Amino acid sequence: MAVDKVIVTNRSVLQRKYSTSLQRIDDAVRNLIAADKKRGVTTLLVAIDSASDMRAVKGAPVTKPKDERKVKAAIDALCAAYTPDYLMILGATDVVPMQTLRNPAGGDGDKNVPSDLPYACAAPYSNRPSAFLGPTRVVGRLPDLVGGDNPAYLVGLLGTAARYRTRPSDEYQHYFGLSAQVWQASTALSLSNVFGDSSAMHTTPPGGPKWSDAQLAFRAHFINCHGAPSAPEYYGQPPGKEEYPVAHEAKRLKRKVSNGTVIAAECCYGAQLYNPKDSGGQAGICSTYLADGAYGFFGSTTIAYGPSEGNGQADLICQFFLDAVLAGASLGRAALEARQRFVALYTHLDPTDLKTLAQFYLLGDPSIHPVASVPHALSRTKVFKSAFKQAKTTPGARAFRRERLARTGTNLQQSLGAATPIRARSPAYVTRVLNAAAKDSRITELQRQSYAVSFPRAASSGGMKQFAATRRGRSIYMLVGEKVTSDKVKRVVVLAATVQDGVIVHMRRVHSR
Amino acid sequence: MSFRGHVVRRRVSVGSKSEHEALVLVTDGGDEYKLRREGGNPFRDPELDVLEGERIECEGIVRDGQLIMSRWSVLD
Repeated sequence: MAVDKVIVTNRSVLQRKYSTSLQRIDDAVRNLIAADKKRGVTTLLVAIDSASDMRAVKGAPVTKPKDERKVKAAIDALCAAYTPDYLMILGATDVVPMQTLRNPAGGDGDKNVPSDLPYACAAPYSNRPSAFLGPTRVVGRLPDLVGGDNPAYLVGLLGTAARYRTRPSDEYQHYFGLSAQVWQASTALSLSNVFGDSSAMHTTPPGGPKWSDAQLAFRAHFINCHGAPSAPEYYGQPPGKEEYPVAHEAKRLKRKVSNGTVIAAECCYGAQLYNPKDSGGQAGICSTYLADGAYGFFGSTTIAYGPSEGNGQADLICQFFLDAVLAGASLGRAALEARQRFVALYTHLDPTDLKTLAQFYLLGDPSIHPVASVPHALSRTKVFKSAFKQAKTTPGARAFRRERLARTGTNLQQSLGAATPIRARSPAYVTRVLNAAAKDSRITELQRQSYAVSFPRAASSGGMKQFAATRRGRSIYMLVGEKVTSDKVKRVVVLAATVQDGVIVHMRRVHSR
Repeated sequence: MSFRGHVVRRRVSVGSKSEHEALVLVTDGGDEYKLRREGGNPFRDPELDVLEGERIECEGIVRDGQLIMSRWSVLD
């Protein structure tokens, strides 16, 4: 049987969480599979803890739910056997765990980066994020509540996915755009890039968190605020002040989110799944959006990055996600294309780029197409309709897209370099330059970090041979320092020197936000 | 869980979008946790500012390097 979409879960964990109520989830999954069938999508539910399900794909069942290595191997076996166009992880992180990756931007407060990125990659289990530079799979996670025992939440999300409908693109052209005031220039640039203008942007302060029904009713939301772990709020900040007023609250979203809303949130921990008991019973903003009818939420599991001016890291990957959704991609394809477009910008990923790739992920059914793509004229002809028995997209066209995405991901995996921390000190000449730059910028040094940039062997073949010599000995040396601004606020400044064969070839100064 | 230690002010999440000044508990065992009050603003909470420089005992849960306190008292 050809399978278009695999729903993967751990049934024994769901059984423990929901006991006799699990039947309601089973019924809701059946309804989703039936709805998918009507849309021409053949869906298969697979339990990674089931010996028979895993035997069918020549894989081993997961006997310990938190065994990330086994879970990764099980999902790889499923993908190898069924080559699904969509992979939907059913359940939160206490049902199917995220893969715990080392934090490449060590020292920022996150011990590691919980990530769904490895599930989107054919590369085998690793805790090194640099092992997953070439995502090829269309993946999303439809979560329940961490620690939950009432199936109503997950049944609701499954129902939303089963009943989803594709809407004309003009229903997504108006947006709810929210920014911490301190980042409004960057957010305005992001909104202009995605929607063509930023005039409707809100900032905190002075706005928030009491957004009106009309403001929240728009189906595209773009949010660039502060976020914190296990917190059901996002926070704003005025420029130059250590003040963090509440910008957005989960508790105010109920019955205000339009069915079909798609959200991209740059916030630190913006899409973290946590036990609501950790915050007085209130689930996070991402979970609440989905409960209220949103189709998809793209956000971060951990502390995120962006430049002081212009766009970078979190700004870009969120823009790329919404770009693809607005162009008619499925949510899962939009997430994959966002990852691929983001890493394709670079010759090698520095530590914060690498963390960005690992931390952003999709919550929602990856096969949902929120926005209708513009069909070409031929598809409206009788001949076309007769040939394909439908005027819209065809499984064949989807297969071409998957082939293209697999090619792009494979090429990225074989060609991208990544920075890994090393203990070496910077060469004396580099140290002198960094010291001079720090003095010039009136920066007080806090710490120094060194990284080696390494490339896969295939990255130096064919037309890339010419760059092999210059890449050898490429390294990055960073001076992290502190500067007091004119309004007496301390700001961290990072001076980074990229060195090749002992010569500085690139320098940049990055200010904290 | 219970914790004891000194409260200091530090910059945390350095270089990230949410880098900020925060109160950090340095426990007697040498562990460090960013302090936060249950239901309080995780970035700036005036109620906790008075703890800076104090030695405290507190109860709470640790989540992602943050100690979310449900109770605390200043030790003499």
